[in-house]
Amino acid sequence: MLTINLIASDFTAVYSAVLASVNFNDIAVATGVVSILGLVIGLFLGLASRKLEIVVDEKEAKIRELLPGANCGGCGYAGCDACAKAIAEGAASANACPVASHEVHMEIAKVIGGSVEATEKKVAFVNCTGTCDKSKINSAYYGPKDCKLAAGIGGNGSKGCSYGCMGFGSCVKVCAFDAIHIVDGIAVVDREKCTSCGMCVAECPLNLIELVPYRAKTMVACSSHDKGKDVKTVCTIGCIGCKLCEKACEYDAVHVNDNLAKIDYDKCTNCGACVKACPVKVIRQQSA
Amino acid sequence: MNKYLERLVNGIFKENPIFVLMLGMCPTLAVTKSAMNGIGMGLSTAVVLIASNAIIAALRKFIPEKVRIPYFIVVVASMVTIVELLLKAYLRDVYDALGIYIPLIVVNCIIFGRVEAYAAKNSVGVSLFDGIGMGLGFTVALVLIGSFRELLGAGTIFNIRVMPESFEPISIFVQPPGAFLVLALLTALQNKFKLSSATNGTVKKSALACGGDCAHCSVEKFASFHSNVAGSSDKKESVRKED
Amino acid sequence: MKSDYFVNLLLIFISGALINNVILSQFLGICSFLGISNKIKSAIGMGLAVIFVITSSSVICYFIYNYILAPLDLSYLNTIVFIAVIACLVQFVEMVIKKYSPALYNALGVYLPLITTNCAVLGVALLNVEKGYDLVESIVNGFAAALGYTIAIILMAGIRERMAHNDIPKSFQGFPITLITATLMAMAFYGFSGLV
Repeated sequence: MLTINLIASDFTAVYSAVLASVNFNDIAVATGVVSILGLVIGLFLGLASRKLEIVVDEKEAKIRELLPGANCGGCGYAGCDACAKAIAEGAASANACPVASHEVHMEIAKVIGGSVEATEKKVAFVNCTGTCDKSKINSAYYGPKDCKLAAGIGGNGSKGCSYGCMGFGSCVKVCAFDAIHIVDGIAVVDREKCTSCGMCVAECPLNLIELVPYRAKTMVACSSHDKGKDVKTVCTIGCIGCKLCEKACEYDAVHVNDNLAKIDYDKCTNCGACVKACPVKVIRQQSA
Repeated sequence: MNKYLERLVNGIFKENPIFVLMLGMCPTLAVTKSAMNGIGMGLSTAVVLIASNAIIAALRKFIPEKVRIPYFIVVVASMVTIVELLLKAYLRDVYDALGIYIPLIVVNCIIFGRVEAYAAKNSVGVSLFDGIGMGLGFTVALVLIGSFRELLGAGTIFNIRVMPESFEPISIFVQPPGAFLVLALLTALQNKFKLSSATNGTVKKSALACGGDCAHCSVEKFASFHSNVAGSSDKKESVRKED
Repeated sequence: MKSDYFVNLLLIFISGALINNVILSQFLGICSFLGISNKIKSAIGMGLAVIFVITSSSVICYFIYNYILAPLDLSYLNTIVFIAVIACLVQFVEMVIKKYSPALYNALGVYLPLITTNCAVLGVALLNVEKGYDLVESIVNGFAAALGYTIAIILMAGIRERMAHNDIPKSFQGFPITLITATLMAMAFYGFSGLV
């Protein structure tokens, strides 16, 4: 009982000492100043946001929400904001965005009131397979490691084949989806990540990249228009224009023009006959 | 108990604010002139972080979404003011050494980042330990950098003479250029050790013996791996595809 | 003497911009310095935004400190009040720019929220108080500091643009080489200390 009394009296002693030393006036002033400041700022910003409100087009806002937001520029407009504005105004069609899926296109079409037909999914493909162990180099290149700059200099970097991928990676830099990388000296597209926005197609100074349908599995991985024996001196895996593939195809889907085979994807059925017929193995069949 | 320990270890090693997350550069460069300053700043930041984490985690359900940024700012600023006043009263020399960087703890990216990313979404207990972990990680990093700079720049660690008398201190290390240099070397070291880790799985890896790093290849290296350097100088000139 | 006053202002200007450069001597604003300085265009945008925010916050904070906080002996509320004012100012400026100049907003509006938590803005405001500058001195100091920030960030952006095509060792790519550039810049700016 006595100990409890002592503790209680100690406590009250400390408590009153603390109370005495605290100046409530100061606390009141400080609280007052900060509260008033907070109120003033809050009111100011609130009023300002009312007065400075910009009228936003509802449709444009909805469309902008639906767009992927990567700002890749594939639609041809300056980013997703500009594309949304164009679609809302009617300057662009609902499927202007090449990156968005067909479902998203349908959603956008619903917002502006209309419909859009299905477009086929495409992916990019680099028409060169001349990796450093298959293709030869004929010069030592000491310039800037940028494809566009190197293309301007001439000599195609250090590559012997003047049509082939130099592997300096300008396409990698413009890809907003991390879908293209330099592996073994040539650019390779990751089919699952590619959204066919087309930035790499525009960027490549040698026009090596093209958009092919996703369902296409057979590709001629070469862009060289050199005659067969010239191709062989600079690359072991370049197309020599022998026309064996053209003869093997039952669907008239492969044609050799100007020493280079090209597949017509509207006719190709991925049967693989040309792959078997090719003597240099430049026609590739993707596994998945 | 396990998740608390995990937060602690995370803050010190896995997600160390300076070495891994690269946040809070301003105080790192400014106060690491000596290891003692490093500890002072690190612990002050840790205290602010712990207190802010706890308060914001406790009140997280009552904060409307739109005003959360000013809310965080005010809480953190109040904590910093309290710490500043305490330092001024009880640890005067630390206060003088750190100078203007104490109020600048308010705008330290670490605090803001952790508060927004963690404390606003998790319970008080875990947030508390996250704060302790991050704070300790920050302190450890500051002490390391501070010791390094002090050792080379003044020959002492924690004001204890370590280097021999004949050592001529490289005074640039205790000055602004030295700070940048030390941080550059540390990040380069980090990059070097991280180099062995793999990139994301969908990227094809080179199967060639040379490593496939053509961008950094030279003629000699190429010739040693691939025996196909075209030698003939009278190769017919092909017409390059023009745009 | 009138001329003394102007000489004093000139000294404050030079020391604020060059000798005690906010980034390279005082380490304020490093995060944005290393992050934004990739392209000259964005560096210019960021620099202009910083100049505007720091100069106006110097003015407002001067008035608040000298007419509200100091007379009431509340100088310990400096930190809280200044940061609240800065955040409010940045928000307001963002709203104004968004409404009246969408082109300007696209150029530098994105950087404005970054400036709120920029050490440089709060640091300059607090320094003005610490050094006891009057109104004109505060404005000059604020403007000079922001100008110094802009100079440093544009220089860094220019160097980084050139370095983008260089053959940098693998472990130094990215952050480390930028920091080494900053080292050399800091050493160069050290030479200015002989000016005063």
